[in-house]
Amino acid sequence: MKAYVMGIDFGSTTAKTVILDRKGKMVAWSVGQKGSVSDAGVRESMANAFEKAGITQADIARTVSTGYGRRMIDVADQSYTEITCHARGAVHMCPEARLVIDIGGQDSKVIAVDANGLVSQFAMNDRCAAGTGKFLETLARAVEVPIEEMGPLALTANEALKISSMCATFAETEVIGLLAEGKQKPEVLGAVHASIAQRTIGLVARVGKRSPVIMTGGVAKNAAAVHHIAKALEVELIIPDFPQIAGALGAALFALDEVTGQVDAPKTDEDDLVDEEAMSNSRGCATKPCQNSPKEQPLLGPF
Amino acid sequence: MSQTIALPKKANRLRTASLNNKLVNDYWTEVFEAPKVGRKVCWYEGVAINPLMQAADVAWVHGEAWSALLAARNNEEPAQQASENRGYLKDLCSYARTHIGCGVMAQNKGEASGASFSDALGANALADNVPAPDMFISAYPYCSTGQQWDEMLYRLFKKKVPIFNISVPWVWGNKPDSVYLGGSEFREAVEYMKRQLRECVKFIEAQTGKPYDWDKLHEIMHYTKQAGQLRMEAMEMCATKPAPASFFDWTTSLAPVNFVPGGPAIVDYFEKVKLEIAERIANGEGTVPKERYRLFWDGIMNWNKIGWLANKFASYDAAMVAGRYTHMGFWHEHECIDANDPLEGMAINYLVCPINLSAPLMIEQIIKLCKFYEIDGVVLHAARTCRAFSNPQYMIAEAVARRLNLPVAMIEGDMVDESFYKDEVVSSRIEAMLEAIESRKRAGIAA
Repeated sequence: MKAYVMGIDFGSTTAKTVILDRKGKMVAWSVGQKGSVSDAGVRESMANAFEKAGITQADIARTVSTGYGRRMIDVADQSYTEITCHARGAVHMCPEARLVIDIGGQDSKVIAVDANGLVSQFAMNDRCAAGTGKFLETLARAVEVPIEEMGPLALTANEALKISSMCATFAETEVIGLLAEGKQKPEVLGAVHASIAQRTIGLVARVGKRSPVIMTGGVAKNAAAVHHIAKALEVELIIPDFPQIAGALGAALFALDEVTGQVDAPKTDEDDLVDEEAMSNSRGCATKPCQNSPKEQPLLGPF
Repeated sequence: MSQTIALPKKANRLRTASLNNKLVNDYWTEVFEAPKVGRKVCWYEGVAINPLMQAADVAWVHGEAWSALLAARNNEEPAQQASENRGYLKDLCSYARTHIGCGVMAQNKGEASGASFSDALGANALADNVPAPDMFISAYPYCSTGQQWDEMLYRLFKKKVPIFNISVPWVWGNKPDSVYLGGSEFREAVEYMKRQLRECVKFIEAQTGKPYDWDKLHEIMHYTKQAGQLRMEAMEMCATKPAPASFFDWTTSLAPVNFVPGGPAIVDYFEKVKLEIAERIANGEGTVPKERYRLFWDGIMNWNKIGWLANKFASYDAAMVAGRYTHMGFWHEHECIDANDPLEGMAINYLVCPINLSAPLMIEQIIKLCKFYEIDGVVLHAARTCRAFSNPQYMIAEAVARRLNLPVAMIEGDMVDESFYKDEVVSSRIEAMLEAIESRKRAGIAA
C-alpha cells in the first residue's frame, strides 16, 4: 500500500511540498525557489522532500496541488485554491484560529474561518503587488538592503515615516524620495512595513476582524511586518514555526482526507482513523512547537 | 470539495437571443440611415430616455450601448486609443473613453457637427455609418463621470451642438418616512424629474421645429410597459431549479428594454423569451448542463466577456441566476408606468436604476433577490473604471455575508476595457468561493 500523501503549493515565487504519512504525521517538507511560477522550483521542492522522507513518487497515494500554478502539476490528482488550502493548513497548525492572514510572494489574503474550520469569507489583494512579498523585494532593492535584513533593520527605526500603500511602483518612488531627503534606512524600512500593515488591515476590514489571528506565508517570518500588522490590528499574531508551508500542508491534509475517505467526517473504521497524536505532529504552531519538524532545514527567503 | 473540471462545459444560452440580434441590427441600421432621411440625431448617456426621442422621430445613439457593441464585436480598441491619445486617462470610465474616442476620431477626420463618422473607424463597417449628433441630452444618475462625459462631447464638438441636461437626484432613502419607491423625499424627486422631462420635451421640440407627439409617446410606453412586465415575469420564472436562463442571457436581452425602439417587436421578443423559458422549465432544461450552485452577480457587465463568462460558470456547474444590473433596472418597475400618463412611471424607473439607490435601499433589494432565487453565493464584479457600480460593493458583500451567511467573491474587470481583466486572478477567487460553498454543503451548513 502506498503509505504517503503529498501537498504541493506552487506559488508565484516559491514552490512548497509537504509529505504526510497515512496517520497524518509530517515526514518531510521543502521549499524550492527558482523564480516566478517555476517548474524547476516544484521539481526541486519535490525532490528535496522525497529525499528527506526517504521515499519516491511511487510511494505517494495521492497528491493535491494549490497555488498559482496548481493546474500545471502533472502528478496532482486534485487541486484546490490557495484560499481553501491555506485556511486548512493554518487551522490545522492552530485550531483555535478564526482569522488567517497569509502574505506570500505575489498576493496577500485574509481568510475568516468559522468554528467548523471552514472558510466563511475571504479577501485578496487586487492585481497590484502592494502589500505582498514582491513589494518587500522591490523596496529592498531600492533601499539596497538584503531582504533578510530588512525586518531587523526596520525594527530599529526611531521615527515613523509614511509611504503609499496603494501601489508598489509609487511606493518605490516615494522610498527613493525619502532617501534623497536624507532619511535613514531603518526609518524608511519602518515605513515600508507599516505600509504593508495598512494594506493588510484593509483586507481584514473586508472580511471582519476576529481573533485569534494566525499569520502564514513567507512574510510572516519578517519580524517587522508582524510587528506592524499586530500593532495596526491591536491584536497579537500567532506565527507558526514554518508559516510558508501552510498551503502545502493544507493540500496534503486534503489528500489525506481523500485517501482515508474522510472528506468531511471521520469514518468509523478504526483502521482509517487518523491518529490524532500523529496529526498534532504536523502542527507547527508557535504555541505548540512542531515536534517532528525538521529544524535543521535552513529557512529560505521570506516567501 | 469541487472537482477538477475534466472537459469544458458550455452554457445553454437562450435560443431567442438570435431574435435580439436582429432587433439590435435593425435599430443600428435605422440610426445609420437617419441623416439620409432627414431625421435629427441625439447622443445621450445613462438612463433609457430614448422613448422621448422616438416620439419626436429623432434617432438616438446611446453612448454605453454603442461602446458595448464595439466591445462585443472587438472593435473598441481604436476608439479607446484615440481617446487616450487625446489625453483621457485609462482610469476614466471605459464607456466614456470609447465613446469620446469615436468623437475624437470623427474630429480627426475633420468631420464636425452634422457630418457622419464615415471612415472614422477605418474599415469597421458598423462604425463607419454612425452619424454625429444634432443634439445631446444628458440624463446620468449618480455617476459624475457620466454627466461630465456629455460635457466633454459638447466641447469636443466645439460647443456647436445644443445640449440639455436632466439632473437625476440620488435616492438617499434616509428620511423617516423613506421606503423603496415611497416617502416624501422620493415623491419630491419624482416630481422634480417629471418637470425636467417636460422641459426636455420642449428642448426636443425646439430642435425638430415640430410639435411634440404625446400620443406617440403614450403608444411607445404602452409597449415598453408590456416588454418590461414580460421580461420581469420571465426572469422570475428562473427561480425554478435548474434555472432555465442566466444573468448572461438577461444581459444580452437588455437592448430591447434599453435602446431598441418601443413597439410590438420588443413585446414579441419577450413573449418568445418567456415561452422558451416555460418550455425549458417543462423539460427540466437548465442554463448550465448540471446546476450545482446558484449565484448572484453584483456589478456591471463585462461586455468583452459575456460568452466566455457564461461558459466559465457553466464549467463550474454554477448558474448565475440573477444580478443587480439586470434585475434592478431597465423598466423593472413596470407596474409604475401608466401609458396614458407616462412621465411619472418613466421618472420612477429612472430614479431607481441599479446605481441610484443609497446602499441601505439597494442592499434590501439585493437581499430580496438572493432569497427569492435561493442564491448560494455572490460574485461582485468590481469594474475598474466604474466607481458608480463599485462604490457600495464592500457594503453589499458585508450585508449578504452577515445577513444571509453567503460566501462572496470579488473579482476585478471592466465594462469594455479587456486589459483590466486577469483570468487566473478571477478564477482563483471564484473557485475559492465555490469551494467554500461546497464545504458548507457537505458539512450541512445551510446558507
